[in-house]
Amino acid sequence: MIAKAKEFITTIPVNKVSIKDLLSFEKSPRNMLVAVLTVAFIALFVIGVATYLVHGHHAYNVTREHPWGLLIAVYIFFVVSSTGLCIIGSLGDVFGFKDYELISKRAIFGSIVTILAGFAVIAFEIGHPVRMLIYNILSPGLTSAIWWMGTLYGIYLTFMIVEFVFLLKGDMKSAKTFGLIGLLVGLAAHSNLGSVFGFLNARPISNGVFYPTYFILTAFITGVYLAYIMMGFRYKLDFPAEVKKMLTGLAKIQGLLISILIFFVAWKMLTDVYGGMPNRAEVATHIFHSWTFWAEVILAMLIPLFVILRDMGKSPVLFFWVSLSGMVGVFFMRYNLVHDTQLKPLQMLKVKEYQLPPEWIHYFPSMTEIMISLGGLGLCVAMYYVGTKFFNLDSDH
Amino acid sequence: MARYGMALDYKNCINCKACEVACKEENGVLLGADKHRIWVGVKEIEGEYPLLDIVSSTFVPSQCQHCEDAPCQEVCPTHATYYDENNVVRVDSDKCILCSYCMNACPYDARYVDDRTMTVDKCTFCSDTRLARGETTTACQNTCPTKVRTFGDLDDYDSEISELLRTRDHFSLKANLGTNPKLFYLT
Repeated sequence: MIAKAKEFITTIPVNKVSIKDLLSFEKSPRNMLVAVLTVAFIALFVIGVATYLVHGHHAYNVTREHPWGLLIAVYIFFVVSSTGLCIIGSLGDVFGFKDYELISKRAIFGSIVTILAGFAVIAFEIGHPVRMLIYNILSPGLTSAIWWMGTLYGIYLTFMIVEFVFLLKGDMKSAKTFGLIGLLVGLAAHSNLGSVFGFLNARPISNGVFYPTYFILTAFITGVYLAYIMMGFRYKLDFPAEVKKMLTGLAKIQGLLISILIFFVAWKMLTDVYGGMPNRAEVATHIFHSWTFWAEVILAMLIPLFVILRDMGKSPVLFFWVSLSGMVGVFFMRYNLVHDTQLKPLQMLKVKEYQLPPEWIHYFPSMTEIMISLGGLGLCVAMYYVGTKFFNLDSDH
Repeated sequence: MARYGMALDYKNCINCKACEVACKEENGVLLGADKHRIWVGVKEIEGEYPLLDIVSSTFVPSQCQHCEDAPCQEVCPTHATYYDENNVVRVDSDKCILCSYCMNACPYDARYVDDRTMTVDKCTFCSDTRLARGETTTACQNTCPTKVRTFGDLDDYDSEISELLRTRDHFSLKANLGTNPKLFYLT
């Protein structure tokens, strides 16, 4: 048994890579910019983590009234990306859409590195991450959406790694089995992440079924943006015919998904604002007047949809750039979700204490939070880069 | 085994804040953690000077509501928040991972981070201190000069709080949320 396991592991196709190989890449201006930013972000991560280890949560601008800050938003950003890439990867190797098989391996690897980056960020937001690992098992809170989300994401990561190994080995049957289970567990985990907000009966703006379903939809959309970004860097924006065909197909799917998203968000906002429910209507009106909401709408929804509808996705180079700005919009989507949930002060009877309470809870991330968040991005890009050196992420077909 | 609750004759509150001070002293709440564990909310005087409606200003003492269906307990991923044998909502600081989900889930804003243990803390009806020593009152109740608070066993028919709840009209905060608080405001 042990010999078999040993043989299984030793036969995983991994490129022999020296330090020199790792550091060698085409020194084009674009690559140099990405390299410098990645190293700088990782340096910021180190500084941010060091600051956190010295000062604890006091290094963050989170407060009693606004306990979840930027790091929660960035964690969600990464795990949404992971689920999205898992969906994209599954199109080919689980559901058998031939056109999308050529991105399967890359997308599944991307789903692994993005969730690892998410875990790296959340480890410095959770006050006691080691204790979490222990009591998650010894004393599971089965009524808690966070328990289900965290546990399912742990299982999901395992299945993604096993699926990736089978993809590397070219064992498509096993990859399909593990991919399907991983996808289902990932979707369950991700909708549970939405339910972390959906279960909050103290926060009418988030309470309900919207977020668990919306999370799956936006994950798919995020996955398509990331697919464009990864393929853009892989082919230096000079796409071969089969890649162009795949990207055009993805863009058409994206057009449909964004249309559905706009429909969802429009009705959520309309029912929130005009439904007149106390603690929901005024929060939604406040959100409607915030620039971050419009950043989300314009960058992640309107511009991409306009570009897709212009020629039905036949401009993959243009859509690569739109995908970059789309990911900025997706970041605002996550930030808004976390911040807007906590906008409304809870103590309704405390009309006045020693001083007037704020009408809305204010929050702006601290430098430490920003450094750790950018560091998560740096880690993600660095892990992906190292992966491209060690593994053949192109399709074998 | 008891089912502890508290009745607040809040219209008697004179906003002297003795309850806040006593709570801090008894439970070791750190300086600076003002209005974290218990607090007195002040409703502003209505009207414009000089036509002020003096009686419209009321004081509303509050704290953890020790809900029968506590959202903070339901969302805790490690069972750090639990009901003890007296139905008091407590936190096991050894199990708390400081994910802050309970802080977001509590409709009453009754939870805060204790900087001594770096875990989430809350009112415990003095379970760790006075009740553990065999006393039958909480610090906030014991110190109140106008007897706003009455603490006791809701399951004991003869207890003072049961008598009060039988004979006086009362309401709960945010009752529409279905949390079934065990803090009762007497009218």
